[in-house]
Amino acid sequence: MTPQDITKLIVRVSLKDRAAFDSLYRETSAKLFGVCLRILNDRGEAEEALQEVFVKIWTKSDRFAVSDLSPISWLVAIARNHAIDVIRARRPATADIDAAVDISDPKPGPEALAVAGGESERVHRCLDELENDRAAAVRGAYIEGDSYFELAERFAVPLNTMRTWLRRSLIKLKECLER
Amino acid sequence: MSLVDDQGPELGGDDAVAAEYVLGVLAGDERQLATLRIETEQAFARLVDRWEAYFAPLAAAYASVDVPASIKQAIDLRLFASGQVAQAAARPGLLGTLVFWRGLAVAALAALAFYVAAPLINPPGEISDQRLVASLTAEGSAVRYLAVYEERTGDIGLSRIAGEPVQGHDFELWVIEGQQAPVSLGVIPGGESARMPVNEALRAKLVSGAVFAISEEPAGGSATGKPTGPVVAAGDLKSI
Repeated sequence: MTPQDITKLIVRVSLKDRAAFDSLYRETSAKLFGVCLRILNDRGEAEEALQEVFVKIWTKSDRFAVSDLSPISWLVAIARNHAIDVIRARRPATADIDAAVDISDPKPGPEALAVAGGESERVHRCLDELENDRAAAVRGAYIEGDSYFELAERFAVPLNTMRTWLRRSLIKLKECLER
Repeated sequence: MSLVDDQGPELGGDDAVAAEYVLGVLAGDERQLATLRIETEQAFARLVDRWEAYFAPLAAAYASVDVPASIKQAIDLRLFASGQVAQAAARPGLLGTLVFWRGLAVAALAALAFYVAAPLINPPGEISDQRLVASLTAEGSAVRYLAVYEERTGDIGLSRIAGEPVQGHDFELWVIEGQQAPVSLGVIPGGESARMPVNEALRAKLVSGAVFAISEEPAGGSATGKPTGPVVAAGDLKSI
């Protein structure tokens, strides 16, 4: 299915077309489930989250029209943001350090993730301009939904140092992305 | 790691918050605030959208995973269960046929399941979980607040995004309903976030379309019961 086909489905869903909703679910639910599962790291929670995500897609599909995102990116953003909302509600910033460290173990390295995206993408090229550990932190935050708190734990630095460090990376990234 | 030696400029302001929201690094309360700002501030929502677009290619790292079939059924039940009952009942031509009665049984089951599940989605009774939000700003003023009123608790949560009262003064919060005179909700406590309980008599005034306004008043608030100082920020209450 092409991005144009997905766009048509989302537009039809915004007109409350249930057949389009079924097709959209068939085409995209596996990807969005992968997003929820990766961030939540718990099958039951990911299944619950996926339900919420499709309820949101049904009720908020009219907002796609005002977004600059590609259709699949728009759907992924809904799933990612919902899953991250769930873990932020689940893990208060001051608790559960051990769990955060446990979960961080089986992650693929930054190299594997870079390959997954392809070299043509600007964001990968710009991340490559950062030092390795900095790029890894940005990718880890995006893909796993790590909080500042968890990143600071992993890199063994104070929270404010982590924030400063990431914001320096972000300004470099932005300069490169808008070059 | 050479964190200590790291130098250079940092991304700042709303652009930083937007990027941090998209990356997902914000703590729970910061993230909630950002979510509300996306709902109420177009300029901020656009910043978020741009960072979503920048980072979107990273999502290629998410592998697709097969979803159990029960999930789609659960979604349909939540979204459409009551509609199925209406559809089945609206077909008189099917009346009396086996198909109809089978259909009705399925629809009834679905309706029952919805009835059982509904309280989880919408709490029963008169307890409302309606929330009203307002983004408070004013032309030529540096003061910006975000206000959230929760009907369930009767509290107003305020987040100060920018601006402070002149020394020796306080910010006072007012609600204005239609053409009526402003009614004071009290002096806003200092600090980046504050919680203000609303007494029972005033809660009826907090409805979608009413206006929140902040004026700068002498320390302790206006002595006259009306705003005396300049209005430094105001915004409509919207339900979300």
